[in-house]
Amino acid sequence: MMMGFKIYSLFSFKMSIFLFFFLNNAIAYSSHSSSADTTMHTNNWAVLVCTSRFWFNYRHMANTLSLYRTVKRLGIPDERIILMLADDMACNARNKYPAQVFNNENHRLNLYGDNVEVDYRGYEVTVENFLRVLTGRHETAVPRSKRLLSDEGSHILLYMTGHGGDEFLKFQDSEELQSHDLADAVKQMKEKRRFKELLIMVDTCQAATLFNQLHSPGVLAIGSSMKGENSYSHHLDSDVGVSVVDRFTFYTLAFFERLNMYDNASLSSLFTSYDPNTLMSTAYYRTDLYRRHLDEVPVTNFFGSVMETIHTDSAYRAVPRKMSKRAGINMAVEKSVQHDDRRTLIDSNVQDPTSHIKTKDQNCPFTRTMNTFFDKVERIEHPDSLVNYGLILMLPLLMVSVWLSS
Amino acid sequence: MAEEITESSNDPPPETPPTPPSEPEFDSKTMRRTKPGLKRLFLTFTVLVSFLLGFPFLFKSVEIYRSPLPFHDIDSLSNDVVSNPFLFPCHFQAILVPSDPKSSSIDLNLDELELSIRSKITKLASKGIASQCGACTNNFTLSLTLDDGGCTQSSSKFYKCGAIRAVDLDFGDDESVDEALESAGLDSGGKVYSVVVVVNGDGVEGVKVVVGKYRHAWIVGRDWGVEEVAERLAEIFVRVFVNGGREEGLIHGEFMPVGADGRIVLSFNLLNADPSDWTYDWDFRKIDETLLAPMIDALGPIANISVESQVLYHTPKFSVSSWDEKLGGYIFSTKDLPFFVNSNEWHLDTSIAAGGRSKILQFVVYVPSAKECPLLLQLPNGEISKTNAFISPMWGGVMVWNPQSCSRDSDSELLVRHIMSPEDLQKVFEVFVGQFRQLFGLKSGSLHVGAMGTYSLLASEKGFTEWELDVLSRQHTCFNIHSSATTLGSLSKLVQSLPRMIIMDEIGKQVKFSLEAAKLARVNASLGFYDASAVSSRQARSLAEDAFFHPSIMSVSYYSFEHCFAVYSPFFLPVSMLVLPAALREWRRYKQEKAKYLLWKAKEKVAS
Repeated sequence: MMMGFKIYSLFSFKMSIFLFFFLNNAIAYSSHSSSADTTMHTNNWAVLVCTSRFWFNYRHMANTLSLYRTVKRLGIPDERIILMLADDMACNARNKYPAQVFNNENHRLNLYGDNVEVDYRGYEVTVENFLRVLTGRHETAVPRSKRLLSDEGSHILLYMTGHGGDEFLKFQDSEELQSHDLADAVKQMKEKRRFKELLIMVDTCQAATLFNQLHSPGVLAIGSSMKGENSYSHHLDSDVGVSVVDRFTFYTLAFFERLNMYDNASLSSLFTSYDPNTLMSTAYYRTDLYRRHLDEVPVTNFFGSVMETIHTDSAYRAVPRKMSKRAGINMAVEKSVQHDDRRTLIDSNVQDPTSHIKTKDQNCPFTRTMNTFFDKVERIEHPDSLVNYGLILMLPLLMVSVWLSS
Repeated sequence: MAEEITESSNDPPPETPPTPPSEPEFDSKTMRRTKPGLKRLFLTFTVLVSFLLGFPFLFKSVEIYRSPLPFHDIDSLSNDVVSNPFLFPCHFQAILVPSDPKSSSIDLNLDELELSIRSKITKLASKGIASQCGACTNNFTLSLTLDDGGCTQSSSKFYKCGAIRAVDLDFGDDESVDEALESAGLDSGGKVYSVVVVVNGDGVEGVKVVVGKYRHAWIVGRDWGVEEVAERLAEIFVRVFVNGGREEGLIHGEFMPVGADGRIVLSFNLLNADPSDWTYDWDFRKIDETLLAPMIDALGPIANISVESQVLYHTPKFSVSSWDEKLGGYIFSTKDLPFFVNSNEWHLDTSIAAGGRSKILQFVVYVPSAKECPLLLQLPNGEISKTNAFISPMWGGVMVWNPQSCSRDSDSELLVRHIMSPEDLQKVFEVFVGQFRQLFGLKSGSLHVGAMGTYSLLASEKGFTEWELDVLSRQHTCFNIHSSATTLGSLSKLVQSLPRMIIMDEIGKQVKFSLEAAKLARVNASLGFYDASAVSSRQARSLAEDAFFHPSIMSVSYYSFEHCFAVYSPFFLPVSMLVLPAALREWRRYKQEKAKYLLWKAKEKVAS
């Protein structure tokens, strides 16, 4: 697959045939528009991705960590944030402030303080893993904390920063996320009802082009720059030696610093807060796939967290208390044996049933014979004597050959 | 080509001596005397053909393995689910007995009563209360029995007359009546919802309605008309036995707290907000064995439940409470409840037992610190919550448990670890069961207010009564089948839209098994085996999800034509650029030469 992506970048021209194929897919998908509009908004998720490596891309990691800090402050719990950082600036040898990351030259706020839970780090941040996170197709061994376990009541914030171009976003200097890859993943998510609403926020050069192929309803997208525009960094920290934050993210954070989790500032107020003069690029937002009016949607719908709560009216009292206590003691004796069975059963259930199928399928006849051969070799007790016998056997052969040749 | 060759071979052989060279018309530029040779053409075409012959091998070698998926079956399942919804059969029976066996017979027209009940059931069902997924009012049987010494039955196959009168009923003690009715064997093996109507019951004023732990209810009353009896029976059948006593809007029907793989992990957490004030521990093992195990067994058909527990320290809640002098406690308003859970400090999701698609339900007992003890939840109407607990759908529940005396034992430097007393634990777990039922959409109060007055509901020590389990089984079956149909539909759409996607045999198998399980679930459902259908529907859903989320699908989902072209063109472009023009050129040359020869031949013929 790596090879495939390299070739991609060689053939960066757009083929009309490919576009045709893609549109066909799009039509096939969109015909099944989800009927899950009636579901409630029950939870929030955030996927925050920094896609570039190397020290001079310090600001991308700082961008992502700043967003991470913001959404955590506004209430999205860590277990519902997937944080992907392509490099580890905090531990970079050139970092003058080890284990610290700043997004401002005043160094007031260390973004890499307590409780930063990075889910995908370094070379784990690949296009494949990113798409796996979105579509939910993981190997069985991948832990829950690395999965996007959203459902049809979820609002998802997807933030990406890195180096982009016309309809692509570079990952790790070696591969690219194409706009159609992103659109395809979003379509599959919609198909499986993995979100109710999705906000894609991208801070790269020509960010708006990344949204061109999106067709799924319920998706709202905002990018830092239009096609042909660059996104610039905000300022350089002469102590750290590199730029520490990008303009778009800087002004986004400036907007959110004024808010707390009870606020209900609307998305439109966020979107109008971007000034093309200070950004030095035009923030672009795509709303044609989104049903609700932006000035009715609070930003905390995506950047904060909701938790629907229902008061428990009454406890469930089965039997009068005195009786149950007596019964409890009696039962404890009876159940103790049974209980251990239950526990062991649970453990054995955790095993993945598919692993058996795999091992069976892998047995081709050649490996089978080789395996039996190796087994037999292993079972021979005295290998030295075997070698000696072999040497003795060679003598008559030699004699026969000499006799024949003479 | 072949035509021309045969044509030329039919002509006089080329080795015939050429016509005399004295022909004046012969022009060496446009004519030739000898037949053009086939050697060069043959050689270039051999190369071309061998090049072309390689293509089938290439196609074979790069062929993408696609396990054949039963698209037709998937479509028919989706259509089935939409067009003919589940028809769970339900059997209702009403048994009318006089309270005093010796008293006179009851004067009642059974046929009239039956008609009345039927029409009321259909009316209630059509009102939308029972029309949700998993209801069984479209396919019910109703039988009435008048058991007053004589025996008048309308199409009953379940109840044997005299069974109730054989057991002794004391209507003062509901529990014993329930057990007695169960031992009387009202349903004789089948799953029948029975209501015993005790006419002219003494010792009760008004009408008393009790729904038992099993599948029966009884009504005791006096001085009432046929209409009223019919009304009450219909209401019990539809609202309680079919609908589980729930009202719309409590929890959305789609919120089923069961993971996609049919598992639930119950994670019990005891949180000590500030251990420097006090620390509490619990004997969880005992609770697990005595209280949880029966409940988990009872829910076996619906979900595979496992339990784990932990005790956490230093876990403050997220927002602050305020002191209220009048109530003598710290008040936390219910409108602030969404900000109660402090996800950054409460490390609840530590489970490794839960697979990726299992559902974890968190149950939290929060022990407040001395600064905010006692902590009370205040309802919007100003009352203090009786349970001090709340739930969040699909997440779990929280209960605030205040220590007996909120006095800090700070005089002793050494921290004492308190153990929660069994009585407290019992209370806590009663709330837990209430919350768990709430997450499933069931109410826990002992009284149900219907249109015709209140019923009392008996609680089962298993946490869920038999008829509630039936309701859950029906609903989960329906939900699971719908879910697996949409998942398989999505998968088939995805597979068909990506023609270059590898589909492993495993996915094919999973789809096949899922379809089989779904079919089995539907058969079982139509026969009335609720548990079996719930189990196989769960299997169908889990397999469908496995197939959809199979990790191998990922690898080529973004394989485009561009990619294909880029991969193969370096191999074929250079060769084809030489072979194809060469063959073309040779063919053109041959045709030219042949034309020359034919021209000469024609001339020769004219001359001769």
